[in-house]
Amino acid sequence: MEVTLLVQATDDAFRTLENARQQAIGLLDTAVGLTAETRSVQKKNIQAIFRGAQETRSKLQNFIGTFFLMFVFWVLLSGRFDTFHLTLGIICCLFISLLSYDLLFANIRIGDYGLVVRRFLSYAPWLIYQIILSNFHVAALALKPNLPVDPHVMKFKTKLETDISWVTLANSITLTPGTITMDIKDGEFYVHALDKKVADDLDTGEMEDRIAHIFMEADHIYVQDALDVARIYGAIR
Amino acid sequence: MWPEYTEQSDNFGGKNKMIRVTDDVIIKTIARVLTPFIQVYALYVIMHGHHSPGGGFQGGVILAASLILLLITHGWAETKKKFSETKTAVFCAVGVLIYTGIGVLCIFMGGNFLDYGKLGGLLMVIPPEARSLGILGVEIGVGITVMAVMFSIFFDTSTGGNSPEDETTSSLR
Repeated sequence: MEVTLLVQATDDAFRTLENARQQAIGLLDTAVGLTAETRSVQKKNIQAIFRGAQETRSKLQNFIGTFFLMFVFWVLLSGRFDTFHLTLGIICCLFISLLSYDLLFANIRIGDYGLVVRRFLSYAPWLIYQIILSNFHVAALALKPNLPVDPHVMKFKTKLETDISWVTLANSITLTPGTITMDIKDGEFYVHALDKKVADDLDTGEMEDRIAHIFMEADHIYVQDALDVARIYGAIR
Repeated sequence: MWPEYTEQSDNFGGKNKMIRVTDDVIIKTIARVLTPFIQVYALYVIMHGHHSPGGGFQGGVILAASLILLLITHGWAETKKKFSETKTAVFCAVGVLIYTGIGVLCIFMGGNFLDYGKLGGLLMVIPPEARSLGILGVEIGVGITVMAVMFSIFFDTSTGGNSPEDETTSSLR
């Protein structure tokens, strides 16, 4: 009798142990699966950030984005903060957003837009400095009696990817005295340069690098970019 | 060095050099980004016409200019989504209707044509405020009509009266 009880107890103990082991294995499997899943999602997110994957935003997101931008512009223009004029502004901005929600954000990428705006603002002083430098250079060229200009058209392939960064680069080139962007065809810039020095300055590609940095494009990753991505990565987690 | 000029499909069979998709990425992008801002500015000019310089006519012209900018850079296929020839006819009539409607309403309220002060009873406000609101309403009407007519003038002169919409409707008949 006692022996039977003992055997039963041992059996029970073994069964409990087996159940516990099975449960533990199940839990571990789930944990491993979840970890793998999270890893792949994180990997995809990071890849998206680095490649600047193009995202087709929904109609509603574009609509809301356009509406807020337009309303800020309206308030700046109007300068009247009574209920009547603000209501008029909301109605007008809703109408405009309905009419042209697909124009402003037609070709946009994943990313931190506050960062893009801040980088653009820090790019502007550098550009102004370059404009002043080449201004003096071109003035010196024009004042020299023998007029040592050597006008020619140069052609280079850009590494930038979106239309907005192309346009930023093209307008920066045109704003700098001595160089004018004539055309962009399939990512190739046709630039008219006044002499060899301004053409060489452009050929170093510093301007292009800085614009790639603003819009987080191409294979160009600065140390600053890595730090920024680390911050975004933390936010995702 | 320069690529050959190619006829775009959006060019009404190569007849119209004005309304076509431009192949210049700078012009296209700048036009795309600026159009909503121009439109908001146009509505600002219309809505503040009774406080500051501007008004229905000027605002309507700016609004039409934004649509024309879109038409000469992005072509007819893109502009058709926003504004078409049938809408032009409707908006022309609606603007005039708003204008005369407000004018005739003043006659019904016991005043002269466009005598906004008499609208005060209807809008539950004092006559000076009713005048301000009445002028705003009239200017919205003027703006709508001017916008539609300006767009129509540009479209008709640039296509020579052979609009793509006419062709589709005549083939249906």
